[in-house]
Amino acid sequence: MSVLTLPAQPGQDTAPPPVSWRGMVWVTWRQQRATLIAVPAVLAVVAVFLVIFGLKAHHDYAALVHCSLDQGQQTQACAKAFSNFNSADWPLANTCSILMQLAPVLLGAFVGAPLLARELETGTYRFAWTQGMVRERQAIAKLVLLGATLVVLAAAFGELFSWFFQPFLWTEQMNRLTETVFDTSGIVFPAFTLVAFAIGAFLGMLFRRVIPALAATLGVYLVLRLGAWALHGQYPVTAVTGNADLPSSYGTPSLPGFAWILSTWFTGPGGKPANMSAVNKILGQYQSNPHPKLSLTKTLANQGYTEWSRYIPLSHYWPMQFIEAGWLLVLAVALMAGTVWLVRRRAA
Amino acid sequence: MSAFAGVASPSARDATAGPRPGPWPGMLWVTWRQHRGLLIMVAVVFCAAVAGLLETGLRIHQDYALLIACHPATSAACQGLSNFFNSTDWHEGQFIHVAVQAAPVLVAMFAGPPVVARELETRTFRFAWTQGIGRVRWTAAKLALLGSALVIPAFAISQLLTWLYAPFLSTQGLTALTPTVFDTSGLSYAAWTLLAFCLGAFLGALVRRTLAAMAATLGVYVGLAGLTWFYLRNHYPVKTYWPMQLFEAGWLLILSAALIAGTLWLVRRYAA
Repeated sequence: MSVLTLPAQPGQDTAPPPVSWRGMVWVTWRQQRATLIAVPAVLAVVAVFLVIFGLKAHHDYAALVHCSLDQGQQTQACAKAFSNFNSADWPLANTCSILMQLAPVLLGAFVGAPLLARELETGTYRFAWTQGMVRERQAIAKLVLLGATLVVLAAAFGELFSWFFQPFLWTEQMNRLTETVFDTSGIVFPAFTLVAFAIGAFLGMLFRRVIPALAATLGVYLVLRLGAWALHGQYPVTAVTGNADLPSSYGTPSLPGFAWILSTWFTGPGGKPANMSAVNKILGQYQSNPHPKLSLTKTLANQGYTEWSRYIPLSHYWPMQFIEAGWLLVLAVALMAGTVWLVRRRAA
Repeated sequence: MSAFAGVASPSARDATAGPRPGPWPGMLWVTWRQHRGLLIMVAVVFCAAVAGLLETGLRIHQDYALLIACHPATSAACQGLSNFFNSTDWHEGQFIHVAVQAAPVLVAMFAGPPVVARELETRTFRFAWTQGIGRVRWTAAKLALLGSALVIPAFAISQLLTWLYAPFLSTQGLTALTPTVFDTSGLSYAAWTLLAFCLGAFLGALVRRTLAAMAATLGVYVGLAGLTWFYLRNHYPVKTYWPMQLFEAGWLLILSAALIAGTLWLVRRYAA
């Protein structure tokens, strides 16, 4: 490694010339090449598995859809196809879905926690941080390069998984707004991966030890994820109040999807809040004795009752994605800024 | 850390005295000192899990008792109870079940690899493995202690979860042989926890890097668990609950023992 300090000449700026960002890319590659090779390799292996199994699932699903649309869902042949799909394909897909919920934190923790903490734990910071490259720039370069790599990989992997999981939405009565599907699709999945990475890097700098930082990242991410699920229905501008007749499940696979109903309530004659026991009586009577010509909504309307719902229509999927990815991105950037600040402040 | 190799004083023993036989109780203290972070974390997680399972389980059992006591079953009120049980309570039960199933490998991932890999990575084996007790017994004692610290709480958690989950067997049409239920009841859960730990220890000794061993433990465990659920269980020679439990616990125990033997063999032949 070349010496960057020169004896001071009169009238000359004696500060060492800044090491280029290109040099920083090379250093990051040298230090992180194990990670940068292993992570795509593992994802590639899993991707191959998802492709193979996904093609089978799509094939079975196509047969199911044909069957239902041609012959109706209640026939013997269709019932057999359904039970086959549910017993052979769904358990494995369910397991994959659960593992996918863990994927962001596993990727983020294993890549982010050792990033800076390893230097501190092994003491190599004494060498690495005294090069011409100011230590904050090193940290920024590493965070940006590895973060960007993770985001790209996660986005691609998320898209693959969304394709893989699509046949199971109808049979399991889920749609794209269901939390488990929402969080592993679109731009939210790479956002969660980036946040997990940022949490890992930040806790790594805080604890200065890799394994405790890893464990803490898992814990913090769990809390974050539960918080995100709680916030899910509260996003502004996404919920709609209306009294239209909303489907709450898939009737047939050709139905585009159903809204996420947050709450329902009834109003009585004159728009006042309804007397629930009266409404329940009407509901009970209708369920045991459905009118052949009038729908439930009409029956209620005839008595002056209207059902209102607060719901999120399926068309608001992308606005919700942007809102969630937005605050996750802000959080990730704040954590990375905090990490760089810690790098600067910490003497050792 | 006390040195276990004592100086042979001529008056106390004969001329052929070697180091005293390993003080096994000393290993108790050493394991605690070196792994107190992990042991404290396991204790905290265990207490939190027991509290959560008890609280949720009592609630679920209460709701279920109300449900089956409700007559007539087709009335609106009883339907309401049933809907609530099958949606809110069931989702809660499912979530808890998934969390409990994921826990063993995530905890064993932190417990297994560091036993050997951390010593090798930080070069502290030069001190730790040259104590009077000898490196193999040192590792064996640690593995036994940490393994017990994981497996015994795991068994307790699985019994608690079986109790919590019992009402869902009838309402959701599950049986004791449904893969998810089978995994977390009887001996299966504790056996899988033991396997995860032994796998972690072995991979730590093999790979000699803690982080890589952790990732490898996760990968191999998921692969083996998937293979068992979707393939191996269909080929067991027995088909009823307890024989299958014993069979599965049996082969998991044999595999764990083999992995431990492998770990100790790797420790013995390690030349720095």
